[in-house]
Amino acid sequence: MSAIKDDNIIEVRNLKKYYPVSSGLFAKVKYYVKAVDDISFNIKRGTTMGLVGESGCGKTTVGKTMIRLTDKTDGQILFNGIDIHTLNRKDLRAIRPKIQIIFQDPYSSLSPRMPVGEIIGEAVRDNNLVPKEDFDDYISKVMLDCGLQVYHKDRYPHEFSGGQRQRICIARSIALNPDFIVCDEPVSALDVSIQAQILNLLMELQNKYSLTYLFISHDLSVVEHISDTVGVMYLGSIVEYSDKKTIFGNPLHPYTQALFSAIPVPDPDIKRDRIILEGNMPSPANPPSGCKFHTRCRHCMEICKHQDPQMVEIESGHLVACHLYPTKIRFIGDRL
Amino acid sequence: MDKDKMDKDRENRITEYTDIDNGLSDVQRVKVLSPGMLVVRRFLRNRLAIIGFIIILFMFLFSFIGGLITPYDETEVFRYIGSMSKEYVSVTINEEFRFTVAEGMAYDNATHARFILAKNQGESVFTHGGEAFHIIQEAEDFFRVVLSYPKARITYIRGIMGVTPLEDGLSYDEEFQNAIRQAIDGGQTSFIFGDEQYTLSRDGRDYVLGTTQDVAIESLLITDGVSSNKDLGFGFKLESEKALRADDSTSFVFEGNTYQIEEEENVASVYRLTGSGREQFALISPMAVQAVSRDVVLTIEFKTALEKAIADGETKFTYPDDAGNEIVYDINRINNVYTVKTETNTHLISMHEQPSSQHWLGTDKHGMDVLTRLMYGGRISLMIGFIVVLLETALGIIMGGLAGYFGKWVDMLIMRIVDVFFCIPFLPILIILGSVMDKLDVDPQLRIYYLMLILGIMSWPGIARMVRGQILSLREQEFMLAAEATGLSISRRIFKHLIPNVIPQLIVLATLGLGGVILYESTLSFLGLGVKFPFASWGNIISGVSTAYEMTNFWFVWIPAGLLILLTVLGFNFVGDGLRDAFDPKMKR
Repeated sequence: MSAIKDDNIIEVRNLKKYYPVSSGLFAKVKYYVKAVDDISFNIKRGTTMGLVGESGCGKTTVGKTMIRLTDKTDGQILFNGIDIHTLNRKDLRAIRPKIQIIFQDPYSSLSPRMPVGEIIGEAVRDNNLVPKEDFDDYISKVMLDCGLQVYHKDRYPHEFSGGQRQRICIARSIALNPDFIVCDEPVSALDVSIQAQILNLLMELQNKYSLTYLFISHDLSVVEHISDTVGVMYLGSIVEYSDKKTIFGNPLHPYTQALFSAIPVPDPDIKRDRIILEGNMPSPANPPSGCKFHTRCRHCMEICKHQDPQMVEIESGHLVACHLYPTKIRFIGDRL
Repeated sequence: MDKDKMDKDRENRITEYTDIDNGLSDVQRVKVLSPGMLVVRRFLRNRLAIIGFIIILFMFLFSFIGGLITPYDETEVFRYIGSMSKEYVSVTINEEFRFTVAEGMAYDNATHARFILAKNQGESVFTHGGEAFHIIQEAEDFFRVVLSYPKARITYIRGIMGVTPLEDGLSYDEEFQNAIRQAIDGGQTSFIFGDEQYTLSRDGRDYVLGTTQDVAIESLLITDGVSSNKDLGFGFKLESEKALRADDSTSFVFEGNTYQIEEEENVASVYRLTGSGREQFALISPMAVQAVSRDVVLTIEFKTALEKAIADGETKFTYPDDAGNEIVYDINRINNVYTVKTETNTHLISMHEQPSSQHWLGTDKHGMDVLTRLMYGGRISLMIGFIVVLLETALGIIMGGLAGYFGKWVDMLIMRIVDVFFCIPFLPILIILGSVMDKLDVDPQLRIYYLMLILGIMSWPGIARMVRGQILSLREQEFMLAAEATGLSISRRIFKHLIPNVIPQLIVLATLGLGGVILYESTLSFLGLGVKFPFASWGNIISGVSTAYEMTNFWFVWIPAGLLILLTVLGFNFVGDGLRDAFDPKMKR
């Protein structure tokens, strides 16, 4: 157990992120939008964790909170054993290069008035990561690694296509020599052929620099392609977590099952049992009591409406939060 | 044969094609320009912007260099010597008694007033200051005022007269007594016996006889000497007037000289007889002749000629000046006042002079060169524009930056202040402040600085709002999040990522604002509340023309100034638009 713990580059413990909603100027807070509601997971060094879920289920918030671009409400995020939310400004700046993020939109994530070389190298210089005399070579090397040409350095972002821009974003992160990168839907704004290029680039870089990814996506086939472990989120909570093979081979949670049944199979002869979920996702501001999924679950039981299901480990490393699997209860807290 | 040719042609084409290096290598690429050069290039490609830039350049040269080149001063007034019908002499028909006091006697305006009262009431005696003055009427409007010394009491009942001397010194012979009797019978209050003047005044039933001493004469006529400055003296006046009034005598003797009087209508000339002939000595008439200008000395000949002309009822008369030129004088009568006008040479201000080679755009109503005024006005207008924009931009960046970056209550506070500023009606406030400065009599130079300050303070909210909006939207952009995630320092995030993205809009807004400020300054100056005379500004040059007559006739004053304002504002707007396009890297043109 302890060996595994040492191997975790990042541990998320009971992370909560509530956004206060107040009406009017001076009114008190009326209620909270529970974007992330008590989430715990670990990512092992050098692996990729896929985080899937519908739009608005809190995936991006998890990603941003993990690298402290937004402040948490409660819980802990340990990066190499250090809680990054308790760091002071100076220490935080020191640790920033180690934890990077790649955004969904390659258009708005690049400053329009900076040449590419400056975008990639700015933080390297600001953080004194490489000696001055090696700086140019270093940036060129990073750009080549990311599939960019050296002469792109003096160009401006608007001169690039979406895929190239995403490469620039990746290069900007890679240049800082990070350990952990949050990939916040990095390919969803790109067309399919470019998606594959970018995914392959990410995997290539992972091997080369032994990176750890948190790969946030709503595209299950992409997650299946890149991930080692997968977490399924629904309305701010993780409902199922396992390694890729297990979860794709044997999804347990009714939501996961419904989600996976929607993966298109490129063979018109195969007839699939699609599980159609009815209704919309409830508002995270006013989540249903008990199991949050019970309003749309076809296996809904009486207990589901009243009692929040706990994460249970069904088999080794396969955790699910559902009342359908009441036996073999082992609280995740015990595991940690 | 044909096939061979075709093959050869094909081969040539292929070599030709392969010889061209189509690779996208470094060498092949067009040299990448620095961002600044790119902006300049895009700007230079915009024809309208270039036109605007040239206009503004011209305005600068015109205002700042032109002011140095022009031979005239900002407030230099041009004059010319021109002849003008000017009032030369005024002549008044005298209707008031004027008095001349005998030497050594006390007779002042108050005594004169007493005299007028007594005369109007028909009294022959009045008292003033404890003295009894006797009035002796010599002619209709000629009186002698005398002091009387009682000599005898005379009782006169039904032709029987008794004389009781009060003082010695007089002998009451029969002749004298007859004279007294005659005077009493005639109801006279004075009479002459021998060379002496006697007074008779009633005292109850009796009469008091007194000898006299002249105090003053009161007359409607005015006696002028040869020179206006020379006082002729009491004695001369008394004698001359007496002689004039007397029916028989036309000459009199005074102080050993013999004088002759020649009367013609109302005017009488007095000549002094000399050994060889006679010379004019004085002029007696009911007219007061006064030169309008103090330094003009009127000769007695001129006066005589003038008064004769007036007496003849003429409206024009000619009189030679010192050089012997005949000068025509116009006589106009208004009631009892005649004004005599003549063409005189004076310095005149060249008001509204038409354009000429000296004054390319003529002169304005102050007689100042319009072109020069335009140059100096341009300096002030442009300077106010730039300083105000600098001020408002600085304030706008600070306030907007604070609001945008810190958000929360800082944002709330600053934006509410901005709202308040937007609620203040701009022009009325400026007008009020302008009139406050008028009231406080602010120095025109200082006023220009105040104007800059006021315009700057009034116009920052627009820029603050823009900066805040930009910063708010930029803050949420993912590249700002990325900058935070890469661990850049806050100052670097602000100055390298936020500000460069705000600057273009800021420059555009400031450039467009320049035109607006120049317009505001012109409006205020036109209303007389901005830049004040003697300082020139394009607005107050236009305000020199305020009536339809001036507008249609003095086009050279307002059309150039209006044109300059129009062109400058247009130029700034063109440049602003050009800059906006040039700064936008997405603009491919």
